[in-house]
Amino acid sequence: MGVFMGLLEELRELGVNTDEGVQRLMGNASLYERMLGTFTKLMNETSIEIEEFDRDDCTELIEKTHALKGASGNLSVTPVYDAYTEIVNLLRRGNPGEAKALFEKVLPIQTEIVQCIERHK
Amino acid sequence: MQNKKKILIVDDIEINRVILSEIFKEDYEILEAADGRQALEMIGDDQNISAVLLDLLMPEMNGLEVLREMNRQGKTEMMPVFLITAADSEQMLLEGYHLGAVDVIRKPFLAHFLKCRISNVIELYGHRNELERIVEEQVDRLSNLNRSLVETLATVIEFRDGESGEHVKRISSLTKILMGQVSKMYQEYRMSKEEIDKIAMSSILHDVGKVSTPDQILNKPGKLTKEEFEIMKQHTVKGCEILCKIPHIMEKGLYDYSYDICRHHHERWDGRGYPDGLSGDDISIWAQVVSVADVYDALTSERVYKKAFSHEKAVQMITNGECGTFNPKVLEAFGACIEKIERKSRKNKET
Repeated sequence: MGVFMGLLEELRELGVNTDEGVQRLMGNASLYERMLGTFTKLMNETSIEIEEFDRDDCTELIEKTHALKGASGNLSVTPVYDAYTEIVNLLRRGNPGEAKALFEKVLPIQTEIVQCIERHK
Repeated sequence: MQNKKKILIVDDIEINRVILSEIFKEDYEILEAADGRQALEMIGDDQNISAVLLDLLMPEMNGLEVLREMNRQGKTEMMPVFLITAADSEQMLLEGYHLGAVDVIRKPFLAHFLKCRISNVIELYGHRNELERIVEEQVDRLSNLNRSLVETLATVIEFRDGESGEHVKRISSLTKILMGQVSKMYQEYRMSKEEIDKIAMSSILHDVGKVSTPDQILNKPGKLTKEEFEIMKQHTVKGCEILCKIPHIMEKGLYDYSYDICRHHHERWDGRGYPDGLSGDDISIWAQVVSVADVYDALTSERVYKKAFSHEKAVQMITNGECGTFNPKVLEAFGACIEKIERKSRKNKET
C-alpha cells in the first residue's frame, strides 16, 4: 500500500496521530516530517536489548525508555508513546517482567513505523 | 532580531528542543542547550534571557542540579524557570518548586496553551524587573541627594574652621574601617554593609554644632579655660539642635545615626564624657566608634593649639587611656585594623 501513499497518510494507518503532531509544531507539516526523521535516528541510537529487562539495575533502561516516551509523545507516535508510558511505569514500580512483555509486543509496531518513515526519506 | 527577548531551551532530546523552538521562535530569540552544564554556561551573566525551559531528566547534570545552581546564584529571582517533565516524580517537581521553578510543562506539549502560559509569565517578570529597576534608581537618587546634603552641611563647618572641614571627611573613612572591624569581630555589634555605610556618612556631621562655637574659642591657639571648654562642649548639643531643624531633608536612618553621633561622640565608656555622662553600652556602638576615630584623627593632625603626634604615639595615647576610657572591644578592633587606619589616614592627609 505504502508506495502510493504519502508518509503522513501511511503513518496514520499505523495509528500515529499525525494531525495532532503537525498541530503541535504550529501546523508546520514539513517540519513534522523532518522531526520524524530525527525520531527514527533517536530510535536507532537508543537501542534497547531485550536482556536489559532481566538486569537487577534498571536505571539506564528507565532513562532510555523515558527518552523514547518523551520524543514519541511529542510527535504523537501514539502506539509507541502509549507502550513506553506503560513500560516506564512498570519499571519504576519494579515490575520488569511485565515491562519486558510489553516491550516485545510493541517492538514489531515500532519497527514498522520506523521503517515506514525511513522508506519515505 | 537583536531586540527580541531570549528563551533558553534545555533538553537532551533534540526533538523536544525543536518543537519548543518552533513554538517560540516567532516571538523570541531561541538558545538551545543539550545538557545542564552547557545551560549554565549559556546563562552565565546573560541578563537578556527571559525564561528557561528546563528538562528534568538529562545526562551529565540534571534539571534539578541546574536549578539548584541557578538558585544559589540568585538567577531564579531574575528569570522564570519552567520545568519540562513527562509527569514523573512528584517529589522532584516539589523540589523544583522549592528551588524557584515557576511552573511545570508537561509532555507531550500543547503548543498554543504553552505559548500563552509562558508568554504571560515572561511579561509579568518583565514588569516586575522594570519596577525593581525604577525603585532601585529612585533609592540611588535619594541616597545621592542625602549624601549631597550631608556634604553641604560639612562644608559649612569647613568655612568656619579649616581644620574641621578636612577632619570630618577623614573621620568618615576611619569610621567605616573601624565600624567594619568591630562588626566583623563581635556578634553583638554585627551590622550590614549598608548600615555601616550610613554610619560612615553620618559621622561627617559629628562636629556640625561647631558652627555655633565662637571663633575665639574654636581657633584659640592655647589651652581653653574652664569656661571656654564648657562653651566648646556645647557643640554636641547645638549640633543636635541644628539637625532637629532639618529632619525632613535626610533619610530617617541617616538622621537617627547623625543625631546620636552628634550628641554622643564625646561620651566615654567610664561615664566621664559629655554631654549626658553616659557609660558602657548605653552609648551606641557607632558613637563609640566615631569617638575613637575622632580622637585618633585629632591627635595625628596639627591644630592651632598643638603639633601633630605620630601614628605610634597617637595609638599609645588612645590605648593607655590618656584620651579617656574607651570600650575594650572597640580598642581591640582598633588594634586589629590599625595598619589599615594608618594607611587610609596618611593617604587622606596627602590628598
